[in-house]
Parts: sequence; C-alpha cells; structure tokens
Amino acid sequence: MLTYIIISVLLAVAPLIVRSERSTNIIAATFFMVQVAAIAAIFHFDLIDSTLLSIFTADTTAVVFHILMTCVLGFALLHSSSYLKAEGISRRSYKAYYTILMLLAIAVTLVYYSNNLAMTWVFLEATTICSAGIIYHREFRQSLEATWKYIFVCSTGIAMAYLGILLLSTVATEGSLAYSDLSNVIAEGNPLYLKVAFLFIVVGYSCKMEIFPLYTVGVDANYAAPAPASAFISTALVNAGFVSILRIYMLYSSTGEVFEWARHVLILIGVLSLAVGAMFLRRTNNYKRFLSYSTVENMGIVAIGMGIGGLALWAAVFHVICHTFVKSSMFFQVGIVRHIYDSYSINRIGNYMNINHIGAIGIIIGTLVLLAFPPSPLFITEIMIFSEIIAVESWWLLVLMLLLMCMVLYAIWSRTLRLSYHSNQDELHLSAVNRRLSYSAAVLLLVAIALGLWQPEFLTDAIDNIVNLG
Amino acid sequence: MTLSLIILYVLTLIYLSMAERFRNHTTILAIQGLLLFGIAMLRLHSFHPVEMSFIIVETLVFKAIVIPAILMHVIRKTKINRIHSSSSQFGSLAMSLAALIASCTITVYMADQNTDMIFFGVALYALLSGLILIVMRKRIFAHLIGFLVIENGVFLFSMAIGVELPMLINLAIMLDILISILILGMFLRRMDNDIHTDETDALTSIKD
Repeated sequence: MLTYIIISVLLAVAPLIVRSERSTNIIAATFFMVQVAAIAAIFHFDLIDSTLLSIFTADTTAVVFHILMTCVLGFALLHSSSYLKAEGISRRSYKAYYTILMLLAIAVTLVYYSNNLAMTWVFLEATTICSAGIIYHREFRQSLEATWKYIFVCSTGIAMAYLGILLLSTVATEGSLAYSDLSNVIAEGNPLYLKVAFLFIVVGYSCKMEIFPLYTVGVDANYAAPAPASAFISTALVNAGFVSILRIYMLYSSTGEVFEWARHVLILIGVLSLAVGAMFLRRTNNYKRFLSYSTVENMGIVAIGMGIGGLALWAAVFHVICHTFVKSSMFFQVGIVRHIYDSYSINRIGNYMNINHIGAIGIIIGTLVLLAFPPSPLFITEIMIFSEIIAVESWWLLVLMLLLMCMVLYAIWSRTLRLSYHSNQDELHLSAVNRRLSYSAAVLLLVAIALGLWQPEFLTDAIDNIVNLG
Repeated sequence: MTLSLIILYVLTLIYLSMAERFRNHTTILAIQGLLLFGIAMLRLHSFHPVEMSFIIVETLVFKAIVIPAILMHVIRKTKINRIHSSSSQFGSLAMSLAALIASCTITVYMADQNTDMIFFGVALYALLSGLILIVMRKRIFAHLIGFLVIENGVFLFSMAIGVELPMLINLAIMLDILISILILGMFLRRMDNDIHTDETDALTSIKD
C-alpha cells in the first residue's frame, strides 16, 4: 500500500516538473496504469480483506469502488486532454489540472480503503482541498465563488462530522476507531450520543454524497469545474461520500433501536433529496447543473434504499455502481456539447442531432438509462426498492416517490429532447466536433446497459459481500 | 485553575459576539489558542513528552500563533477593517446569550456520567457561537472566524468526552485544518482582488 501511495503521489506531482503537455499525458497514462496494477495486485496476491499499513483494508467495498473510480479516471484523463486543448489554456494550467486531478483520485481511493473512522474523515477533508483546485481551474468569477462556497461549506460540514466521530469514539476501546473494533462495542454506547453522532456524520458527509442538506456545494462545484473533472466529481467523489456513509450504516446495524432511527433519518434525507432534484431539474438553465441535480435525485433514491434496508440496500449499492457509468458518460457527452456550442445554456442551444448525431444518440440513450427505462440497470434497482417499500407497507413513501419521479421524468426528458431537436440560437464552433470522444463516452453507457441486461456472478457476489448477505 | 480558564474562554466567546473590528476577532482567536493550551496542559494526567509536544504544536503554535498570523496577513492585504456597519451588536449579544442558555440546557439533558459537563457545555456554546457568526455576519472574513471558533469548539469537545485519538490521526486532522485555513485565506484574497468583494451578498452569481 505504501509503495502504491508513494508511486501515485510522485506521478501526481510529476507534471509540475516536466515541460510539455505530451509528457504530462504520458504521466497521466502511467498513473492510470498504476491504478490498474494496484487492483491487479490485490487479486494476484489475494489481498482481499487484508489490512494494509494498519489503517487501510482492501475489503470488497474498497476494491469495487476503486475499480469504478479507475474506469471513470481513464476516461476523465482522456477527455481532459481534448477539453483543455480546446480551452486554449496555458501549459502551466494544463499541468496543474492533471496534478490536482490525480491527487484527488488518490484521496478518493484512500477514502475507499480506510478502515478507520477518523482516517476516512481525514481523506474526505483531503478530497475537499484537491477538489478546490479543480473547481477553480477555469478562473472565472463563478468558479471563484463556487470554490469558496465548496471549501467553506465542506470544511464546516466535515467539522460537524468530526463532532459525530468524537461522540462515536466514546464507545471505543483503547481509542481504536477501526470500524471492526467499533462494531463490537457500539451496541453498548449511549443511544442519545449514537443518534446525535449519526446525524452529525451524515449531515457532514452529505456535501460529498450530494444529498440533502449540503448538496448545493456539489452542484456548484460540478458547474464550475471542467466537464471531465465534473464527471469524476459527480461519480468517484460522490461514491466516496456514499462509501463513508455506508460504512457508518453497517457499523450501526447492530445498535437495534438506534439503527431503526438512523434508517428513518436516511429515508427522510432521501425523500428531501429527491424533492430537491425534482424541483431544480425543471428550474435550472444549465446542462451541467441539470446533470448535478440528477445526481442529487439518484443519491436520494440510494439513501431511501439504505433507509428501507434488506433487498433495497442491495439495490442501493447496485444503483450507485450503475449510476457511476451512466452519469460519467453523460458528463463527458455534455463536455462535447460545450465544445461545439461554447455554452451549457438549456434555453439557447439545440439541433444537436444534426450537428453530432453520435453525441445526440448517446445523450438520448443516456437519458433513457438515467430515467430507468428497461434495459436500464436503474430499472432493476428502482423496482427492487419499490418492492421492498411495498413489502414494509410504507405506502406514503411509495406514493411520494412515484410522484416525485414522475416530475423528474418529465423535466429530464423534455430538456434532453430540446437539446437534440429544438432550433439552435447560439453560435456554433463546428470545427471542434470530435466524434471519437462521443464514441468513447458511449462505451461507459454500454457498460451500464450491459449491467441492466446481465449481472455477472462476481458482481452480485461482491454486492452480497458489501451488504453482508453473503 | 481549569475552571478559571474555562470561564475566561466563555468570556472570549461573549466578547467575540460583540466585537466589531476584525483585528479584535483575530486577537481573541489567539487568546483562545492560549487558553486551550493552558486547559489541555492542566488536563494532562502524567508527563508524556510526545503528547505534550503535540499539544504545544496544535494549540500554542497553530491556534495561538500561525492561524492568527495568517488572518492578520489577510486583513493587511485586503484592508478589511470591521464587520458590516448595519450589524446590530445588541442583537448579536442577545443571540450569543441565548446560545449560552441553550448550551447549558442541552448539556444537562445530554451529558452522561463519563462526560465532563462544563467542557461539554462550553464546547457546545463555542459551536453555536461559530454558527451564529457565520449566519449573522455578512462579511466573508467573519465566516472564516466562525469556522475557526467551531474548530476550537471541536477541540474542547474532544476534551469533554476524554477521547485520546492515536497521534497519527491527530496529526493528520491538524494538518488538514491548517491547509483548509491556508486555502480559505488565499481564496479570500483572490475574491478581494478579482471580484472586489468581501461580502456574502455579492456571492450570488451562481443560481438556477
């Protein structure tokens, strides 16, 4: 693990000392290969479930999300190169962007692997610092504003989460905050402390998972960051928030009445996130913010799945995995849209089907997958969550979710059709159309559709393992 | 002795709610760093050189010297002087005292036998004071002060529940907070330079 961290950090900072963009691209490709090699090494040396450097564990959750992060990272690095060249930025900014993106990838990976409550917190805070550099990369007024809000709200939120960690640590034996140690003693903790701790931690981490109440900074961050980086933030970083909350959730599973309370909190947060998504998807006039609100909506569904528990928890994990492929693909496609129109304005741009039909088809199919039309994997996850809701006879939740999801469906579908078929009012930059990028973004979408048609056994086993059903 | 330091700490929080000049806010933060140093030292049960060095670095060096120095540097560079003239000092004081009463009430309700009630109550009061500063003040610099007051409250809170985290974790947490402050300070200066504002009301260009 130490070798992996050292090599990754050295590669991440290497662009700062090389001269050309080409060398930076080679370093980025090497960084990607190191991630692949690290995952391969875990399987080759049978390191699954082994503890590394005493604060990391390569459990199934960590490995699955590391694989997902690496997939998105590969495409993000590829798309970033074209995106940055089209922006015409300076060599220094180009190199700094890659350095920060790679550092963010390291911080996110370490969140996945942390087996300790406090270290998860530390690496989540590190992701805030790295993300700030990416959000500010375009150096315009809104990016400055978004960066300030992001650092400030995340830091304050994460300080609240730290309070929760301190409250949880009252049950720790000999100060050990390892999840495995805490799970043995958490049932003996003061129920009031445990409830307040859960609330603080979930609220604090909500800025990373992009759920209610601190979802706004994530939306602003995605808006201000370059599109390929937004794809990474909206998937890999959101997954880091999800993994952190999932670990707390699993920790609380032995606390009886407190766990029941925590699940109700998650359902409430999920419903509010879904409501926010439904409301703002209709209201926003920017395609990147639009996709970000879709993330809020999807993570709301995930939180509801976690709150319901049982099979819905399984569905929630599968939903996050599939959402990673779909949402990253959509962000990459929208990055190409900006390439062509030099705008993300929903009301002004259109006629995309005639300008870049591959990209338009990618966006339309991506939207259908996002809206959970079969064979979308999200159709499976949402049906599973609904069946569990029916099983527990929570009719009000079912009706509310269906109502909000109808609003989401209308908002997303009408706005995607607008991009493809309505007349365009903005100036075009047609020379910049790069269909190879549209094809490459579609690959991620195809993976998601494949998962909707067939769930390989190793994946279902892995999810069983993550939710302790194995 | 510890009780005297804690009472002084409460007084700094009350004064902070009324103070108008940012230099005073920064000085109070430095004093809070010194008080936290004294409190942490008095609570050390035995002589541990490593633990003692860590407390010195975290409270005396960072909280009392480095962070106030960074804030003073930002004040000099941005030439911000005081909180918004329309802010009501009486309103802030009333809010602060209400927070103090709320903290005492919550402490009586929440704290169990393993928790130091005085520390718990003061930590909670510090947290609420920080949040009040963030919510009530318009200037971005006041928000930074609020964030630091919350961080100091969290430090007190860890003493209230008697948590002793491993040194590596403590070190990582301390560095994370320091880097956050450095970056926030840097961006505050950039905002002053690029968009010529130090008020939150001006930060509304991103909306739906």
